[in-house]
Amino acid sequence: MCITDKLVSNLIEELNCDTVFTIPLFGGISISESVVVTWIIIAAMTIASICLVRNLKVENPGKKQLLLETAISGIYKFFEETIGEHGKRYIPYLITIMLYLGVANLIGLIGFKPPTKDLTVTAAMAFMSIVLIEYAGIHQKGVKNWLKSFAQPVAIIAPINILEVVIRPLSLCMRLFGNVLGAFVVMELIKLLIPVFIPVVFSAYFDIFDGLIQAFVFVFLTALFIKEATE
Amino acid sequence: MFVALGAGIAVLTGLGAGIGIGIATGKAADAIARQPEAEGKISKALLLGAALAEATAIYGFVIALLIILLLK
Repeated sequence: MCITDKLVSNLIEELNCDTVFTIPLFGGISISESVVVTWIIIAAMTIASICLVRNLKVENPGKKQLLLETAISGIYKFFEETIGEHGKRYIPYLITIMLYLGVANLIGLIGFKPPTKDLTVTAAMAFMSIVLIEYAGIHQKGVKNWLKSFAQPVAIIAPINILEVVIRPLSLCMRLFGNVLGAFVVMELIKLLIPVFIPVVFSAYFDIFDGLIQAFVFVFLTALFIKEATE
Repeated sequence: MFVALGAGIAVLTGLGAGIGIGIATGKAADAIARQPEAEGKISKALLLGAALAEATAIYGFVIALLIILLLK
């Protein structure tokens, strides 16, 4: 009983997002841990991208530039297939989200608390996704046709189509959050059971592989929905 | 006691997800064996299907967790 109590209290502690500090503006804006970790990720990734794109040349490019070009054009090609002809302009956003989620899921390895374990972060990501999806639909079809598209293929299906606007972000949000939290809980249980060596093997799967797959799946689904909205 | 039982029942959603992903992976292996050149497209579809099927298990897990944490 003692172990389960410890686990439950540990879980509650991990589920809560601690407030790091409060900005004394408008009656106090509390800044939670996930926001601070996100700032760290933003800073690290900005510095990394500045370092990577410095000294790019058109003639005889260096090894670094060749690697970068291969990676970016590969990702572009992959997304172009998924998102279709009309969605090309959203690819940079999708790549940004993928990089952020990938880093956010892996940051637990170096001792930070992953921001994706905070439900509000994944909810915000999902909200941004659905706004982008609907915007893409409006941009492509115009307001009138976008409204009409809710009643397609038959008018009777309209309530389900409207429900989908809510269900899609909910499912995106819960999938990411549940996966990261689930991996964390399983890892905690394994660590409780066998603290030596075995967690390393499982950590490679749950922390690294699963984190990257989920980042990819989130972006992939968003791309698919955008394709559907712009068709 | 009943809280733990409820959480256990909620986690049974994993059953469906496991069967679904198993079938999908089996069919994908079949398809790749038939047409090895279409592997890229097949694995893309498999990944999407697996992610969608897995979501049900994740929902069950989240519900179980909420039951334990909120009803305790």
